[in-house]
Amino acid sequence: MGFEVETLKFEGPLDLMLHLIHEQQLDIFDLDMEVLTDQYIRYLHAMEDLHLEVESEYLVELATLVEYKSRKLLPKREEELEDDYEDPKDRLVRRLLEYQKYKEVSKTLYDSYLERQDQLSKPVSFDEIVRHRNDIETQKLEGDPYDLLKAMNKVLRRLQLSRPLDIRFTQKALSPEDRILQIKARLRDLPETFSFDTLIEDCDNVHEYVITFIAILDMAKDHYLAFTIDEGDNIWFTRGNNHD
Amino acid sequence: MIRTYMTGREMTASEKKRWLEGKSQVRKVEVLDKSDDVKQPDSPEAIVEGLLYIVGEDGARAEQLAAAIDVSMEDIRIILENIQRKYSSELYGIELVGYGSVYKFITKKAVYPYAQELFGSAKANTLSQAALETLAIIAYKQPITRVEIEELRGVSAEVMLRKLQARNLIREAGRSEAPGRPILYEVTEEFMDSFKLYTLNELPDLPEYTKEEESENLFE
Repeated sequence: MGFEVETLKFEGPLDLMLHLIHEQQLDIFDLDMEVLTDQYIRYLHAMEDLHLEVESEYLVELATLVEYKSRKLLPKREEELEDDYEDPKDRLVRRLLEYQKYKEVSKTLYDSYLERQDQLSKPVSFDEIVRHRNDIETQKLEGDPYDLLKAMNKVLRRLQLSRPLDIRFTQKALSPEDRILQIKARLRDLPETFSFDTLIEDCDNVHEYVITFIAILDMAKDHYLAFTIDEGDNIWFTRGNNHD
Repeated sequence: MIRTYMTGREMTASEKKRWLEGKSQVRKVEVLDKSDDVKQPDSPEAIVEGLLYIVGEDGARAEQLAAAIDVSMEDIRIILENIQRKYSSELYGIELVGYGSVYKFITKKAVYPYAQELFGSAKANTLSQAALETLAIIAYKQPITRVEIEELRGVSAEVMLRKLQARNLIREAGRSEAPGRPILYEVTEEFMDSFKLYTLNELPDLPEYTKEEESENLFE
């Protein structure tokens, strides 16, 4: 009997098992472990035949299935049945049902998510905030790369919103090294504390945003600049220790 | 042929349907009222409305607004409800929402097809099935550790948790008392906003599967 792979996109071994149970019309409350195990193994073989890498998670669950099967072949021993002993089959069924719940509910959640995506808001009136921020005290500088990433996402989103209504094609090859020189030249005129948005005022495409971002990463690494992220995910800079 | 702005590709059938459906609901143009000189606001509602316009997508909490216009929490709730009621009318293209206790103005659903017309369809942020499942598990069971999520989904969650953190949909919420003191995760206000939830109590009930049910129902 051949084995046809309908879809290769499963979220993991439990998702695959649910698919097999459905496909083989097995009763999840009275699970035929033998059929499930056989089909599961067939599926993994099929994946290998297609030269797809079988992820380790699939093998972990395979081990559970095979262990169950081999146990059935051995004579039962009394001492195995401890009080808190949960039959591996019961455990698997419990996990499958639990997983199924979240898989189901995630569909409902996604509907709300898509609906919300169609409802837009405008960015904060940023200039107003900058005007009030200029006189803030220098803050303790801290943050990790993920804060920066978050802030960068916000900048990109803002760029997307401010995109002009006509399409322009420009090709400007600006290297991070050049950009660092540009930023260093601009630093003379910039206030003590300034925001990433100030730095990218002269940029008009994503490429330049990204180059600027790479440039400031480099400058932060060299302690030429120090950065902090505020609650609004805005990146703020001051001169670092290494600034001459 | 209707093309989307960003990619220039032709709209898919479902996009086009939604676009046309949205358009058909709007009545003809007519003069509504002769406009007068601008009058300054005299109600707390009008002031709060102005503030909410300024904060835009960042939104503001009731506490912040109450402090700004110096009223009690009880009053600000009434004010916000009044504004919400006002904007729920068909006269307005925006509405006031308070997902995750953060109040902000967003456009109503019916505006979106026109926004597509004006800007072209900007590609919406999508979420993968893996991301959705992970978020659902965290939202229903928070605070929860990585290992608990992995046990439930049967796959490694480390990379996904980082991605969701980077998108500000989840955050760390201290550490569990379990051995190794693993990090606990919970959903953020951004999650509440993205899924249109005022509080987590609004999450849909999890489906229950019982033995009596036809097993087919599981897969509907």
